[in-house]
Amino acid sequence: MSTDKPTATASNKSASLSLDTWAVIAALVLALAVRFDILKNVSW
Amino acid sequence: MAATTALLPVRSENRLLNALSIVPGVLLLAGIGYAAKVLERSVNGYAKAHHWTFPNIEYVLWAILIGLVISNTLSIPKIFQSGIATYEFWLKLGIVLLGARFVLADVLKLGGISLALVVIEITLSLLLMTFLGRLFKLKPKLISLLAIGSAVCGVSAIIAAKGAIDADDEDSSFAIAAILALGALALFTFPAIAHSLRMNDVSYGLWAGLGVDNTAEATAAGALYSDAAGKVAVLAKTARNAMIGFVVLAYAIYWAGQGQAQTVTNKAAFLWKKFPKFILGFLLISLLVSFHMFSKGQVTSLGNLSKWAFLLTFAGVGLRTNFRDMSKQGLRPFIVGALGEILIACLTLGLVVGANRIWGL
Repeated sequence: MSTDKPTATASNKSASLSLDTWAVIAALVLALAVRFDILKNVSW
Repeated sequence: MAATTALLPVRSENRLLNALSIVPGVLLLAGIGYAAKVLERSVNGYAKAHHWTFPNIEYVLWAILIGLVISNTLSIPKIFQSGIATYEFWLKLGIVLLGARFVLADVLKLGGISLALVVIEITLSLLLMTFLGRLFKLKPKLISLLAIGSAVCGVSAIIAAKGAIDADDEDSSFAIAAILALGALALFTFPAIAHSLRMNDVSYGLWAGLGVDNTAEATAAGALYSDAAGKVAVLAKTARNAMIGFVVLAYAIYWAGQGQAQTVTNKAAFLWKKFPKFILGFLLISLLVSFHMFSKGQVTSLGNLSKWAFLLTFAGVGLRTNFRDMSKQGLRPFIVGALGEILIACLTLGLVVGANRIWGL
């Protein structure tokens, strides 16, 4: 039973991340994708 | 244990459904944004080919106009609502990625000037809105919300302050409606005034960032003038957003002293909770670019990704501006807001002109 608790707490925490934090995470993922050429020459 | 494991698939199913529910709205934002880009190219191209004298309408304005027409003539089906609400996410994603277009030296120089102007702007705006609110005999907490909304950063500041000063829902929706309506007006008036004054990009960007309340509208108002002005507007607005915690904390302490809000026990935790975390992301990306972690082409890619994110934001700004809903919110808060905004716009214009003389922007 005790092993369930941390999982539940972690999942609640991730669900309650603020919009700002999600935006920063998404931006960093995109920046990494650009840095390692997964996303190349994004045009406008 | 059995109950916990049985709950897990239900939870993940709910999460999947939540994620899927935003798809139609996001597609609508993307569709409007793309249509705006196509219209910009085709209308300007057509006018040029036929030698017409036609104003160069940029995709920013097209996206807002299409959104405005849809939201004010049709009733948007519920299926699109949660996706449309993601425009705030695209805004913040766009701002963080915009960090790639600033080397740290720019951030420190322009950000330093912005911060100095922001402190003056916030102090004068709070005093002015409080004076006007009392003159028009608005409820004290509504005055606080309007003052915070117009001095700092629009809707998010009002939402942050609502909980901290125990304001009621009605007061917050009055204040939000007034700030949004005035933000929509600023989108059209700020660029027109700046063109007539022939302001340069940096001065105008600073003015839009200091004078337009809501971050989405400030970003759009800047981009409507020029790409460079849009960049500066975001930086100035970000400097303003950074002050949100301090202003809300001051109001929370004031209302707690009056016995009408909960006492703030841990001030540092309060400041951290209210601090807009996307600013840290913006600084981090700018820092990485300053240390040459990205090639020139990669920086361009990041800048373009930021533009795509903003495109969805601009479509959202139009879609969530419903003049009918706003007109239901009552005239007095709107008049106070409008008077305050006009005076704050004049004041911030004066500040920017002064800064231009001192620092040669």
